[in-house]
Amino acid sequence: MSSREIFTDRAQGLGLLVPTIIVSIIFLYYPAVRALGLSFYQATFGRSSFTGLSNYTRIISSGDYLGSIVVSVGFAVCVVLGVLVVALYFTFLIHEVDYGKSVYLIASIWPYALPPAVAGLVFLFLSHPTIGILTSYIESIGIQVDWFSDGGQAFTVVVVAAVWKQIGYNIIFMTAAMNNIPDSLTETARLDGVGRINRLLRVYVPMMSPTLVFLVVINTIYGFFGTFAIIDTMTMGGPAGATNILIYDLYQTAFQSYDFGFASAKSVILFIIVGLLMIVQFKISDRYTFYGT
Amino acid sequence: MVSLSIFAAAVQRTRERTRPIFNQFDDDTENDQLRLHLLAIASIFIIVLPIIVAIVVSTKESGIVTSVTELIPGTSGPANYQRALFELGFWRFMFNSFIMSVIIVVGKLFVSLLAALAIVYYRLPYKNLIFLFILFTLLLPVPVRFVPLYRLTVDIGWNNSFLAITVPYIASATTVFILRQHFLSISESLVETAKIDGVGPVRFLTSVLIPMSRGILVGVSVIMFVFAWNQYLWPLVIIDTEGQQVAQVGLSILRGQASSGEVAWSMVMTGSVLTLVPPLALLIIFRNALIETFTIQQK
Amino acid sequence: MSKVTLTDIKKEFGDVTAVDNISMSVPNGEFIVIVGPSGCGKSTTLRLIAGLESASEGDIRMNEQSVVDAPPDERDVAMVFQNYALYPHMSARRNITFGIRSASSFTDAEIDDRVKEAADILGISELLDRKPQALSGGERQRVALGRAIVRDPDVFLMDEPLSNLDAKLRIRMRSELAKLHRELQTTTIYVTHDQTEAMTLADRVVVMNDGQVQQVDKPQQLYDYPKNRFVAEFIGDPAMNIFPVKLRSSEQGIIASHEGFTIPLPDIDRSSLGSTTTAELGIRPEDLMLSTEAETEAPVQFSAEVTVTEPLGDSLLLECLIGETACRVQANPRSRVSPGESVELSYNPERIHLFDETTGETIHHTDSSSQRVTQIESVTQS
Repeated sequence: MSSREIFTDRAQGLGLLVPTIIVSIIFLYYPAVRALGLSFYQATFGRSSFTGLSNYTRIISSGDYLGSIVVSVGFAVCVVLGVLVVALYFTFLIHEVDYGKSVYLIASIWPYALPPAVAGLVFLFLSHPTIGILTSYIESIGIQVDWFSDGGQAFTVVVVAAVWKQIGYNIIFMTAAMNNIPDSLTETARLDGVGRINRLLRVYVPMMSPTLVFLVVINTIYGFFGTFAIIDTMTMGGPAGATNILIYDLYQTAFQSYDFGFASAKSVILFIIVGLLMIVQFKISDRYTFYGT
Repeated sequence: MVSLSIFAAAVQRTRERTRPIFNQFDDDTENDQLRLHLLAIASIFIIVLPIIVAIVVSTKESGIVTSVTELIPGTSGPANYQRALFELGFWRFMFNSFIMSVIIVVGKLFVSLLAALAIVYYRLPYKNLIFLFILFTLLLPVPVRFVPLYRLTVDIGWNNSFLAITVPYIASATTVFILRQHFLSISESLVETAKIDGVGPVRFLTSVLIPMSRGILVGVSVIMFVFAWNQYLWPLVIIDTEGQQVAQVGLSILRGQASSGEVAWSMVMTGSVLTLVPPLALLIIFRNALIETFTIQQK
Repeated sequence: MSKVTLTDIKKEFGDVTAVDNISMSVPNGEFIVIVGPSGCGKSTTLRLIAGLESASEGDIRMNEQSVVDAPPDERDVAMVFQNYALYPHMSARRNITFGIRSASSFTDAEIDDRVKEAADILGISELLDRKPQALSGGERQRVALGRAIVRDPDVFLMDEPLSNLDAKLRIRMRSELAKLHRELQTTTIYVTHDQTEAMTLADRVVVMNDGQVQQVDKPQQLYDYPKNRFVAEFIGDPAMNIFPVKLRSSEQGIIASHEGFTIPLPDIDRSSLGSTTTAELGIRPEDLMLSTEAETEAPVQFSAEVTVTEPLGDSLLLECLIGETACRVQANPRSRVSPGESVELSYNPERIHLFDETTGETIHHTDSSSQRVTQIESVTQS
């Protein structure tokens, strides 16, 4: 890399970096650090008082919050698995088809561009207990559509919406990764009589593992943070906290209860949880990733 | 342990039962391709269905659709859209979103290009540290910092302004990362030739780097536009005046109005379709550049 | 036009010494080729001259002025790379002229004239408006050359420019480069791993290995009088045969004996050998022959077993075993020899080399040319 360093004016170089660094410091690092600081206070508009670790003890002893953690983790797991499986299915399908690939590709990628709020609203509308289109069909097979009050159903509906929205992004990466697999491997597999599904699971998936690991991380972040709009438009955390993922709970604490210190403590905890999750994922992925030639 | 072996046996039985189904996809005849295509079309249809419904409903008057037979486009299309845009002020929301997104895209592109130029082509002390410093911000998404960020923004008097919803987004770790990866893929000898000829940084950037990065720049711009356009939480929090709100949150307002019966549900769909069009259009037009950009990211 | 001098140049990357104390002097207008195996330091040396790497120690001078600390754009050099380094989004013409505007102060009209001239010389006048992807490998290389020519630098630096071309094209470009040099007479420093390119293009050749200069000489000198075993085996294709031999004195002089043969070496000065009793004997395949094809009678003949025959069209290469040592013999293309046969071999006694077993340094070349000694001494170090 050093042979590319063709410019030696240090002041110039640093100058080029200044805008990015300054904005990062002011609007990213400083607030993050202040969040940590603020978490030790009881704060709301115009008033703040130091309370040490009491915010944190409130969190730990709050059954609601622990419930929220369970919901968030469960939600993230469902979303990550759901997205990966469905996206892999589509990617493979497009890969195996002989023509029309780019048409199918666009048709399956487009939810990426879809605003999450729209996704939430559309699904809300489709499955609305009283006026939803799908509702009558689902009820005709015996399930009472009642997710405004049934927590489990609410959870399911939100998961479906979240997965639906995210598969496009995954398909883009999976397609690129699958296309990178040399044709010779496919031909060898066919010659050896390896069936299609086996080919997918035993040959393609391992060779795509770096991408899949990357996507697990991305989808996890999405599951924790990117689904806010969907939840806000569909269930607003309810019913009774069934879809109250951490980020939503955080939002409510800050902007509905205006309990800023408490909210900051929650954001610190959220940061730690997600950070830990990502570290765990990296460690696990190191064992399972196969970087093929 | 016992339950585990029962579980394993169940899996095995399922495998045996489904193998004939899977095997159906195992040969390469024309029938096989036909089946694949049908499967693809059916699957894609399911994916696209929600939006088709949304579009159809947006043209109806009341939006109460309870069965598929009612899924024919209504006649209120033009009226609905007009109402959404003008009476309900949705055009304002779209306009705000558009301005915000364009400013963010242009700003981010400019700032990140300069940063990537510095990181790849300048000899600087502690360069790797600086790069990590920039990358680390990926771990600080809005939710982790938005409480103090809110107070900071209010304190400097930017609340409710365009500044608040554009400037904080200008530093972009992903963009710098993508551009850096792309710059690194340009062959060293090209760069060395420029050095031997004594080409300066401005000329290098404008006559060599930018023309050689066209696909990536377009792809990155689309990604940034979609990202900006889809922002929900931060605008929700920092903009109070309805008239200055962005489209995403405007939708939420529409939903509230529909729930309370002020507005027909079809209007919510109308708003949704409107909000959906710009990023979708970009995605379709620039899909090739997008794919090119994404594949760089994984390396 | 420039004379380039390297003095005690050393380049270290961490604990690896890529270039270990080399010195050389390239007079104005010379086409000098640095050749050696991969990793020998030849490209690093070129990059040091260009200014793309900075020397850990030593001095580089162009026309008596020290440039060792100067950045590349102040050295007035132009470089041609192995992968052509053409900007893919620019036309050939723009590629050629892009650097000049930064590097020198020609007017637009002057630049256009130079482009036209260079394009004519290189035969690419019709291709000037095409982009690199619309050009073949050879055409791209010529555009890269055009870029260097138009700069009119003091020194051309070429880093394996022909390595990416296919064999036939390479041969053609070689002669074009030779023609170009005859016309332009610019000092050229050329790096390659291909000894054929070195032999055919160079006024002088610098053989490098392991970061050090092994020998600097005119091509034919290198071939006939290699200074050490490395040069002897590197230059010449097919490579020189090496036999481990024992040396002993007799009344007729020194005798070298191998399990498969015993050869007298009458020209050797006994005292120059000192107390060595073993050495390595080198003889090229074309200096070994079937006895039936020998033109003159050699003092000794010996037998060998043929293991592989390689018909090359203009000659027949016999891979043989003499005793336990494998070697190659060049025979007439239509000789009737088959693998497994035992043959009688003769040799040219005037083309034998003796190398020190441990250091690889040449102890002796048998050669009846009386100019040999003076030539070696004057050319080896300059």
